[in-house]
Amino acid sequence: MKKFLRVFAIGLFALFFGFPLYWVVTMAVKPKAEENPPGIIYWKPQNPTLKNYKDVLNLSNTSDSPFATAKSYSALTPLKNSFLAAGFGTLLALAVGVFAAYGIARFRSGGKELPFQILQLRMFPPAAVVIPLYFMFVYLHLWNTLQGLILIYAAVTFPFVVWLMRSFFQDVPREVAEAAIVDGCTQWGAFYKAVLPMVKGGLAATALFVFILNWSDFLIALVMTQEHWITAPLFLNSLSGGAGGQEYGHQAALAVLLILPPAILGLSIQKYLVRGLTFGAIKR
Amino acid sequence: MAFIVLFPALVAIYIGFTEWSPTNGTTFWHAYQNWHWFDGYWEAIRSHEFWGAVWRTVLITFVCTVVEMVLGFCLALLLVKDFRGRGLVLVYFLLPMMVVPAVSGFIFQMLFQVDGPINGMLSFVWPGDVKLQWLSDPTLAIWGVMIADIWQWTPLMFLIFLSGLVALPEDQMNAARILGAGFFPQFTRLIIPMMRPILLIAIIIRAMEVFKLFDPIYIMTQGGPGTATENLSIYFYRLTNVSGRWGYACAVALIVLIALSIVAKQAIKPIERAQNESMEELMTVGGEDAPAERIEDAIDAGARV
Repeated sequence: MKKFLRVFAIGLFALFFGFPLYWVVTMAVKPKAEENPPGIIYWKPQNPTLKNYKDVLNLSNTSDSPFATAKSYSALTPLKNSFLAAGFGTLLALAVGVFAAYGIARFRSGGKELPFQILQLRMFPPAAVVIPLYFMFVYLHLWNTLQGLILIYAAVTFPFVVWLMRSFFQDVPREVAEAAIVDGCTQWGAFYKAVLPMVKGGLAATALFVFILNWSDFLIALVMTQEHWITAPLFLNSLSGGAGGQEYGHQAALAVLLILPPAILGLSIQKYLVRGLTFGAIKR
Repeated sequence: MAFIVLFPALVAIYIGFTEWSPTNGTTFWHAYQNWHWFDGYWEAIRSHEFWGAVWRTVLITFVCTVVEMVLGFCLALLLVKDFRGRGLVLVYFLLPMMVVPAVSGFIFQMLFQVDGPINGMLSFVWPGDVKLQWLSDPTLAIWGVMIADIWQWTPLMFLIFLSGLVALPEDQMNAARILGAGFFPQFTRLIIPMMRPILLIAIIIRAMEVFKLFDPIYIMTQGGPGTATENLSIYFYRLTNVSGRWGYACAVALIVLIALSIVAKQAIKPIERAQNESMEELMTVGGEDAPAERIEDAIDAGARV
């Protein structure tokens, strides 16, 4: 009886957490007539089709694709923008953040307060912070450019890199760097040759983590880009207000494409998820 | 860093004292032409819209954090024991967390349609056809938004609590069980006190993020109907990109930022403590009755620091 209750409870949870995903995955293969007809609900697709994916990726050149008329481009450009902005943003944040983290972890640069000041940056609502950034970027002609987006993404995820990498560097015994220096390395050499190889796993996890964060952004891209430079989540949103009414099928296909990279990357760093999401406060 | 943090802050303070907007036809350093000192701040403090947004933000933050914590804890308790295929089940429950927040907004927008599957499911258990206007009814909409957030972020709470439960010292739990403690005493006397630091960190981190919630709300309702789901983030966005009141928006943003940095200072403390825990341990270990190995460990670690 007790066991049955337990399984029943887990089943209820599974239904709640699984159903929305089931719905978007099946919606992506439903033809237009089954998307959201009044009065009937298609619990599973009757005539599954790949048309939605083809339309979104600009693979079908039929005229009934809404992108042929309503939009001059398909989801390819936004997806590419998303990928480039998130990728280069991640690299830039890592390039700056890793050294900062090493300095803080090893030499206590900036004293006791600095790491917490850096963390505080994460607490402010980006909707407020982005307002003055907008002026600045218009003034510097960085608004609505890929470079500008990369720069903001790097700045926004910088605290994450510092905190995560700091927790990884702290796991490396100080003797490692000291031994390397005794063996004739410079301070830099000790960092590159001795310490960095030891945190390789942590570095990879941090990189993937930051990539997921950048990939998931919506607000910053909403304020900072338009038309040609929008990212994929924005494109997803822009589809809903189109002339053709609701485009659930196409939106769902794009949504699945958007979910896939973070899902795969996220599961591959499952071991570090808790550490990453709690800024390294819980190390398990 | 100075470029991307300090300069915008100064600009925001400057613009906050003016009634400037890009549509004025002047560039922002000419904003002094519309200088009006603290009028923006006054207006914010007396504005119903601002306080409404504050109230809704607090409500969303509170409800979501509490519900996510309770659900996450239940799920973690259910899944803490090992069974066949547990690894796969864990992955299944982590999936919502990986979904891009904007996409989760879109998914729930679909689900909450009048002819959508949520009303469809309710029709199974409720007599008659359920036709709830989830996203266009002023009282229901905010709950719809919260459900979307709860769906997405309960897995995070679950993951944090699970890692905490797994790490609980087993001999104490066994001792309690052998001495005949039931589930509830075990739960309230042992599990909760031992998990306290983890609970605290989880609450703070989640509250921090829900406070900033924007993407799903924007996609599901754009803050509407009316201002029924407008939290602070959406309010800022509307002030700037829709109403074009940049000067006022800066004033409001500064009020919120100042209030937040006071709260943040307090909220950060438990994380700080967790970080410094290893240090504290060194201080408290030692003395005559500490076991020999622990002292040795401490000395080893001390040499490192």
